[in-house]
Amino acid sequence: MNLKISALEFIEEVKTGNITVEEFTAKTIERINQVDDKLHAFLSVNDDAIDQARNIDKKIKSGENVGACYGMPISIKDNMCIKDTKTTCASKMLENFVAPYDATVISKLKKQDAIFIGKVNMDEFAMGLTTEFSAFGPSKNPWNIEHVPGGSSGGSAVSVSSYECIASLGSDTGGSVRNPASFCSTVGYKPTYGLISRFGLISYANSIEQIGPLTRTVKDTAFMLNLIAGIDPNDNTTINNNNEDYLEGIESGIEGKKIGIITEMMGEGIDPEVLSATKEAISKLEGLGATCEEVSLDMVKYSVAAYYTITATEAGSNLARYDNLRYGYEMPVEGYEFNSYISKARKNFGPEVTRRMIIGGFVPSAGHAGKYFLKAMKVKSKLTKQINEAFKKFDLLIAPTVPILPFKIGEKIDDPVSLFLVDINTVTANLTGKPAISIPFKIVNGLPIGIQLLANSMDDKLLLQAAHALEQTVTLPEVPI
Amino acid sequence: MTKIGLEIHCQLTNLQSKLFCSCKANYREFEPNENICPVCAGMPGSLPRLNQEAVKKATMIAMALNCSTPEKIAFFRKNYFYPDLPKNFQITQLNIYGDTSVGGSGTISVGDKKIRITRIQLEEDPGRLIYEGSSSKNQITLVDYNRAGTPLVEIVTEPDFETPKEVRDFLNILSDLLKNLGVADPTLEGAMRADANVSVHGGNKVEIKNIGSFHDLEKAAHFEITRQESLHDRDIPIAQETRHWDDRRKITVSSRSKEEDMDYRYFLEGDIPWVKINPEIRTELKSEMPESISSKKERYVTKYNIPEQVADVLSSDKFYSDMFEKSHTESNAKEVANIITTELMGLEDTREKRESSKLTATHLRDLADSIQTGKVSRNSSKNALHEILKTGKSVSQIISDLDLGNVSDESELLKIIDKIISDESEAVEQAKSNPQTINYLVGKVMQATKGKADPTSTLNLLKKQIGI
Amino acid sequence: MVTVEEIEHVSKLMKIDVDDHSEYLEKVQTIISYFDILDSAGVESEEISMPEIPIEQLRNDEYIPFDEKLIEKMNHYKGTYVRAPKM
Repeated sequence: MNLKISALEFIEEVKTGNITVEEFTAKTIERINQVDDKLHAFLSVNDDAIDQARNIDKKIKSGENVGACYGMPISIKDNMCIKDTKTTCASKMLENFVAPYDATVISKLKKQDAIFIGKVNMDEFAMGLTTEFSAFGPSKNPWNIEHVPGGSSGGSAVSVSSYECIASLGSDTGGSVRNPASFCSTVGYKPTYGLISRFGLISYANSIEQIGPLTRTVKDTAFMLNLIAGIDPNDNTTINNNNEDYLEGIESGIEGKKIGIITEMMGEGIDPEVLSATKEAISKLEGLGATCEEVSLDMVKYSVAAYYTITATEAGSNLARYDNLRYGYEMPVEGYEFNSYISKARKNFGPEVTRRMIIGGFVPSAGHAGKYFLKAMKVKSKLTKQINEAFKKFDLLIAPTVPILPFKIGEKIDDPVSLFLVDINTVTANLTGKPAISIPFKIVNGLPIGIQLLANSMDDKLLLQAAHALEQTVTLPEVPI
Repeated sequence: MTKIGLEIHCQLTNLQSKLFCSCKANYREFEPNENICPVCAGMPGSLPRLNQEAVKKATMIAMALNCSTPEKIAFFRKNYFYPDLPKNFQITQLNIYGDTSVGGSGTISVGDKKIRITRIQLEEDPGRLIYEGSSSKNQITLVDYNRAGTPLVEIVTEPDFETPKEVRDFLNILSDLLKNLGVADPTLEGAMRADANVSVHGGNKVEIKNIGSFHDLEKAAHFEITRQESLHDRDIPIAQETRHWDDRRKITVSSRSKEEDMDYRYFLEGDIPWVKINPEIRTELKSEMPESISSKKERYVTKYNIPEQVADVLSSDKFYSDMFEKSHTESNAKEVANIITTELMGLEDTREKRESSKLTATHLRDLADSIQTGKVSRNSSKNALHEILKTGKSVSQIISDLDLGNVSDESELLKIIDKIISDESEAVEQAKSNPQTINYLVGKVMQATKGKADPTSTLNLLKKQIGI
Repeated sequence: MVTVEEIEHVSKLMKIDVDDHSEYLEKVQTIISYFDILDSAGVESEEISMPEIPIEQLRNDEYIPFDEKLIEKMNHYKGTYVRAPKM
């Protein structure tokens, strides 16, 4: 039984009867049991997975209608609600929280007969880019377990790249899907803001974040997008995509397309290996008939400061509801006064979350909003104008997903600003609402490098076509685990 | 000089669902926490889904109060921790990035005075708290989120009021206006609450929060003015502070929590895009708005010749003006208005009475017609009305059942009058010398006819028979 | 510059007990001073923009009760209340 197949291959195999869903699911669980002690991608594994697989097999045998996923095992970042399942956000604060409803993406995938094989690790409340800030311990990079897998959707990337599932859903606030995808050599996708419903995604910075798939191939991402994208009455920020079919025409190629190389993401602080990989990618794209040319977005310089100001502010508000009154852990209220009770209860947040809360209280506060929060919002506006201007001239933009190679666990944990700068290439897509994708491109000294493409809002289909074209130019070694 | 400004919170009680979810807007009928869902309970991952009708109704209120209405409205988060706020922030509106609140500035006339309205905002109501336990050790708070998310319109005025009386007049006008628009029933418990800020002699502004009814608002303003005046007279500085209205003791009390330390960290609510209300929609809303109270009043006076005072009372009350519109005809309008304002309003002075009443528009029309055609005297019509409310029987049925028909036959009336004249010879003599006292005899005839005789013909016949 | 007092104030505002404020001081200070870069962005004249939705696309006013008793899945007390500390 080969676990290393893509989603589309899996579906073919099941449809043709070469494999049963039960076999594949059992094998997947076996794989998790085998490797996850080392990798720590999973926070919980679905005990009913085998039963669900059997039921789907039964449906297939009896000729009933079967959903498009045919029992495909998918892992879910632990900040998305699956009804009657623990949803912890990798936080002590929600260690016992059982979601009372399904996120929209979950109910859509349930209808398509996906199997949620388990909930995967992340930085606590998605605040981080290494998965080291999980309250339940870090995940490890399967390419080299001394290295971080990226984050915050680290568990998603690890589980896909080490064959513990076929695909995963992560969430991307400032690169949280693309960054671990790049570090673990999977495809990672952040759609146009509003393309995928956030209903049931536990908010970190709601005005800029999106759910996004992590998969083995670009085609798999297009397949997943077909199932989960579209307007949702439960999320006022979703947009109508007219039931776009993202798989259709994915092999159209990029002949004649104009690609802008973002100057600000190719210079200062970039690892020479990453720079040379990006240049290689550019020449491959040119070889496919695209024209590439540099373009400057000078607001990128301020984007990380703006990004952290905005996310800290929204997080400070989004996480205010965790006061331990309606749900949470055991801590009786008797003998406390309200303020002292919740201030004590909220000590269960980890240090990184606490730090961002303090910043999130500081930057939008009465005395400081003008200096920090308002300016950050204005940088966001101006950056959006600049990128819109760029898309008048270019169909796509290109940059490395992350300017550096995966680093060692613990290496940057105490240096917040150097950690911030790891985000410099990814936050632009979030601040401007544009779709962006990380494509596995190269393995250097046993560590992956991903290339990022960006497109204009609602050009998700074009973006996937280009990503697929680039993907076809590379053959990568297998993950050594 | 006294200055009073108001912040009035009015629930849009006539909506079906809450502001951001499909739970019921009228939470009053539920057991604690039975009218909640993941959205209004602030469960992780839930998102607000804005109620279209709430935006429309709030826009109508802004229009009715002559406020500007912007093309785009925005929502903000007001961040503070309180157990009645399930998300520990409130979604509300502000005008910090231009006029993005549902209503901008406007004015409304209160008597001869113009009161300026600062803005009107649409926001969510918090839940409710019940305090339990007596000793400080066992004290806890019980929370019921049924009310959380109920659509609330906040009307903020400039400090243009100078007396509690002006406040009361404004509240009466506002309350009638909201009822007339069909957006709210201000008489429902908790549907209208207010904060007031009061200053005297140009001194510090004191905010009074938590006033649970319009009635208490006037009282609170009165108490606070007296308190501040007395401090001022004794040269004691008035602290800028927040006070709470103590509903039980009917006084204002300094708040222990330091409100001035509050830093709400307002910022845009990213989960709700800016809502575009284009000019066509606004025109449509305007055309859907019911006729204003003042225009109704004018129509009643000019078209039906209804006396100004009656027209005023009738037009201000939506329930009765609606009833008037349904029941009157060209010819009986004045009579219908008369029955409603002099009799019916007194008989149906509570919600319960209104709800249990069996009166229909047909009843009112028939009763007014019967009075006008002399089938029943105005006097007997009161008994008939009473019976209608109770039984719902038709007017003609009631007139015959209760034998309320006018004694229109003159010879029959004469018989009765002659009998009274012979029985009451002393009073007859008195009437001869002092014609004023004839009313006693009219009364006797009325008694004998159970009020069915027409008072005017009775008087005339009496005079004729006595010879005065 | 961020002071220990400011951190104390903000941790109070955000309702998180911080045992040792100085522990957070250094990192928060580093981060906040990094944000000073925003001063040189030259964006004072920019307008803040947001996505928009036409009013017609908003939800209709319809009462649809939640299909389960949510309170049973929350911490509840004395029947169906949520319990909070004294105020």
